[in-house]
Amino acid sequence: MIAEAGMLASDAAPGKGRGVTPLLAMTGVGKRFGAFEALADVDIAFLPGEVHCLLGENGAGKSTLCNLIFGIHAPSAGEMTLAGAPYRPAGPRDALSRGVAMVHQHFSLINELPVIDNLLLGGRLGRLDRKGEGRRLESLAQEFGLTLDPAALVGDLSVGQRQRVEIVKCLMKRPRVLILDEPTAVLLPDEIQSLLAVCRQVAGAGCAVVLVTHKLAEIERVADRVTVLHRGRIAARSDHPADEIDALVQAMIQRPVARDGEAASGVLALPKRQRPTPLVEAEEAMQLDGVSFLDRLGVRRLDDITLSVDRGEIVGVAGVEGNGQSELGAILAGLMRASAGRWFAGGRELTEASPRAITAAGVGIVPEDRHAVAVVSGLSLADNLFLNRMRQFARLGLIDRPRQRALAAEYIRRFDVRAEGPLIRFGSLSGGNQQKAVLARELTTPDLRFLLAAQPTRGLDIGAVEAVYRLIRDAADGGVGVLLVSSELDELIAVADRIVVFYRGRIVGERRADPANRRTIGALMSGQAA
Amino acid sequence: MSVASLSPSRPPLPASILRLLFPLGAVLAAFAVGMAVVVIMGVPLDKALFAFWRGAFGNAYAISASLNRAVALALVGVGFVIANRAGLTNVGGEGQIAVGGIASTALCLTPGMASLPLGLAFIIPMIGGALAGGMWGALAGLLRARAGANEVITTLLLSFIAIWLLYWSVQSESLLRQPMTNSATLPESLLIPDPTKAPLLTGSYASPVTIGLPILAVVAVIAALALRRSLFGFQLSAVGLNPVAAARAGIAVGSTMVVALFIAGALGGLAGALMLQGEQYSLKAGFSSGYGFDGLVVGLLARGSIVGVIAGALLFGFMRSGGISMEMAASVPSALVGILQGLIVLMIAGAAYYVDREAR
Amino acid sequence: MTAELIAVFLGSTIRLAVPLLFAATGELVSERAGVVNMSLEGMMLMGAFAGAVGAALTGSPMLGLAAAILAVLPIAFVQAGLTNVLRANQIVTGIGINILVLGLTTLGYRQMFGERSRATIPGFDAWSTPLLSNLPVIGPLFQQIWLAWLGLAIICAVAYVLACTGLGISIRAAGEDPQAVAKSGANVTAVRHGAIIFTGVMAALGGAFLSIGDIHTFTEGMTNGAGYLAIVAVIFGNWRLWRTVFACLLFGAATALQFQLPALGVQIPNALLIMMPYLLAFLAVAGLVGRQTAPRALAQPFWP
Repeated sequence: MIAEAGMLASDAAPGKGRGVTPLLAMTGVGKRFGAFEALADVDIAFLPGEVHCLLGENGAGKSTLCNLIFGIHAPSAGEMTLAGAPYRPAGPRDALSRGVAMVHQHFSLINELPVIDNLLLGGRLGRLDRKGEGRRLESLAQEFGLTLDPAALVGDLSVGQRQRVEIVKCLMKRPRVLILDEPTAVLLPDEIQSLLAVCRQVAGAGCAVVLVTHKLAEIERVADRVTVLHRGRIAARSDHPADEIDALVQAMIQRPVARDGEAASGVLALPKRQRPTPLVEAEEAMQLDGVSFLDRLGVRRLDDITLSVDRGEIVGVAGVEGNGQSELGAILAGLMRASAGRWFAGGRELTEASPRAITAAGVGIVPEDRHAVAVVSGLSLADNLFLNRMRQFARLGLIDRPRQRALAAEYIRRFDVRAEGPLIRFGSLSGGNQQKAVLARELTTPDLRFLLAAQPTRGLDIGAVEAVYRLIRDAADGGVGVLLVSSELDELIAVADRIVVFYRGRIVGERRADPANRRTIGALMSGQAA
Repeated sequence: MSVASLSPSRPPLPASILRLLFPLGAVLAAFAVGMAVVVIMGVPLDKALFAFWRGAFGNAYAISASLNRAVALALVGVGFVIANRAGLTNVGGEGQIAVGGIASTALCLTPGMASLPLGLAFIIPMIGGALAGGMWGALAGLLRARAGANEVITTLLLSFIAIWLLYWSVQSESLLRQPMTNSATLPESLLIPDPTKAPLLTGSYASPVTIGLPILAVVAVIAALALRRSLFGFQLSAVGLNPVAAARAGIAVGSTMVVALFIAGALGGLAGALMLQGEQYSLKAGFSSGYGFDGLVVGLLARGSIVGVIAGALLFGFMRSGGISMEMAASVPSALVGILQGLIVLMIAGAAYYVDREAR
Repeated sequence: MTAELIAVFLGSTIRLAVPLLFAATGELVSERAGVVNMSLEGMMLMGAFAGAVGAALTGSPMLGLAAAILAVLPIAFVQAGLTNVLRANQIVTGIGINILVLGLTTLGYRQMFGERSRATIPGFDAWSTPLLSNLPVIGPLFQQIWLAWLGLAIICAVAYVLACTGLGISIRAAGEDPQAVAKSGANVTAVRHGAIIFTGVMAALGGAFLSIGDIHTFTEGMTNGAGYLAIVAVIFGNWRLWRTVFACLLFGAATALQFQLPALGVQIPNALLIMMPYLLAFLAVAGLVGRQTAPRALAQPFWP
């Protein structure tokens, strides 16, 4: 059953959990950060033996909820109980000593230390029994099927292996409550399967497992119960999540959605893009020719990517995160060099080009990590709008501030950036307005031919998402070739013309961006050959 | 080791009252402690204060000497602020002063230098000192840009290397030491010829303010303007606040860092040249005597503001003068001034985060 | 060079290296935990001063040693409070403390001993290590104050703690990724507080060794950069304990050579020998001698 929030407020353990004492219960819990209300009126109970999934969009409050349980933050309202006793952890140390462990989204591992030392970190201060702990590790590994080399340096491990260390680190503490914060975002499909199996097994031993995710397939597979968060409040609960997926998704995004149906674009209030009639002769905006990339450890992150984007075309890149999209973005931005292959834009080879030369060739970049790559938060909005083109205002080395402000004001109007003025600190803008400002800059790149937009809507509210896609579409209609990288398949289907699927650094397939292809594309994303 | 917390953010003018009040409070508190120490030492307070005042402001000579000190500190401080805007912490003022002094001495003593017309006799050594200091700083910048070597460590090490280079140059006759006529010949350079000395503004040794003061005024105005309004200042801020985004925006991050440390070093070298040509007139071991570290502190406490640097440099310059006079006239060791400076530094540094947060 | 000269040279190398060894070992622990104590110089100077005062007032060098530790502890507390609680810039606070301590000790010295006095104060005497000191040729090498042996013992203990205990893991981890340490249930702030206080104690021992161990007198600013040199040793030692110990011995040897070479008729400028440690460290940091890897979170304040 799906229940609206509030209806169950008095019933902490609804459905099949009725009568079982919850291991961990939260009543009326809220958390504020300054003026921002991250969580409010949360009533939730985690039962022994269950895998309880927390579902919600980015910014819905899932991580905040986990951090409250693990003692990283203290709730600003409400009560928590652990096995019936009041629970107010002063910090992670306190939480761990009460039997609450957490697998963090950003691992709590020290790259410079070997696996065994990482497992022992935070334990006793005295002499270490590395051999004995190694044996314990081995038995644990056998129990859960998680093999690890205790002597390996964590920094040398793959992401999947690191997460295994993180999980074993929790399991070694024999927790009563195990929280996993988006553990599958970085994993390969087979790694996800074994992780879910571990969750099941831990729950089977009487633990309460709290699994944060936004992947529906995982819920279908492993969840006993689901709680959906939306904007810091509980939007729905389900005791039979496998049967109620559609309703859960609806609660998560709070708008009608067809899961596999015709109108996938219903996620966005955008009509399905009708690509304008192609030019007589399609002109290439960007071309990747056999591009490969090997990282520091020699792992092949991009494998022989060949792809071209025509002017006026929007090509979507679908794929689970960590399948080479970030590396491709960094190469196109000029921040990394391809290990092999070449790439071109606007008829120029840019394989070895500097960021400045790439911009000069008419390439706009909206990188996936806005704060790290695209903007300087400590500078003003006006400065960020012209970060790569400040020279145009320079006279004898001095910046003509009035002219800069005037042009900034014009951009702010044109791209509908909601800000108190051009001189406001960029970091104080909301995420959506920051992204609009970045788009304003990149879309006004002189002689723009090609735009890379990587995860351009991450963390934005739905209104901003639509605005961002409108801008991208308008650019494409004006003849710009767009490569749109997103992990939100529905958005890609709604916005792109065709979709290529990345899996383990390779293009494993290409489909028209048609809702009818949703299932095949999904299968390709998970590595099942079409 | 990175010193990211130095926050090269531009202080917004309106919200800065707290930032102004706090250093003032710290200075007053430190002076209160100083007076307490004087009383505990059994020295009549009025006598000590009078000596301090006499030394700092008592007459034209005292004021001039204080101003010359302040000029050297301010030059180092301005350089620190510029490098810090690019996210770099220049701990090497001491060494940059030293190499500036060495280069300036060598040029002043170069045969024929003294007979150059149009003031070139003193200008060339000054420029030489600045260039030497600049290259000393740029070396650290280059290592940071090329090898990722942390500039706090490299500038500190380069400081010690420069200090012992200076020691070497005044110990060795084949370098700058004056000819040894007897065993009592001091390990220092010859006196520099009169034409190479920095001109005095008043022309009189009774009030020996050197040309350094107007030079500093020009440097400070240019620096303030450059930081606030120039393309270069903008690039410094972008590199300091987010080097990756700056690189993506086409700013040459490495060269910006090298140039920033070159400027910081050059101002240190210029301070060294001025100290030699305007005050000491011959190079000795211990030439820089802590000016580099004091200048660094002045730069740090100014928190990104050129006006703050000038204020801090004047404070420290006059305090040094006052302290020396206090030692001579009231037998209160000038070490007391060190105690006060240390206290001021600790108070302001300790409150920096909270002051910033309040002001935001 | 005769065997005798070699023995004298080695003996003075060790004597000159001991203060560095104390301070650098302390600093190494701090830096591994993520804190730079530029105040090491000030801590050593205070240790030297308080050791001298304590020994002079009580006539007992042991009490002098205790006084040194007691006097340095407040400095360590100030450094810990400023860096771990107020999150002040570690470079600034260190330099501020150094200026303050130079002022305090100079003032205190003038008050206690009068200006520029060179009065000898009670100090530790060299201690003939049983058996070893009677060895031919290298016997004098073991004519050291017992403090030197204490130093060796502490260094071994530090090596053990860092490598083989949970505390050691916490210390090393706190300097690499303090956030991860906190999530793992260890107390980063406590670890860093402890590391700074340990550094203070070690710096006090090193400073006291200078005044009441080595030359039995105090002079104004007598550390004269020894604290900075100890930091340089940690850098040159690439933040590894035994390499840092080696660096201290090397630096000690360079200083000892200054006094030895003239006796041998070798003319190398003094300045060059004194400069050598800094030059070596500089070349190492510049990447010309191997690769330097500082702790990742060095000098970065920790926010829980």
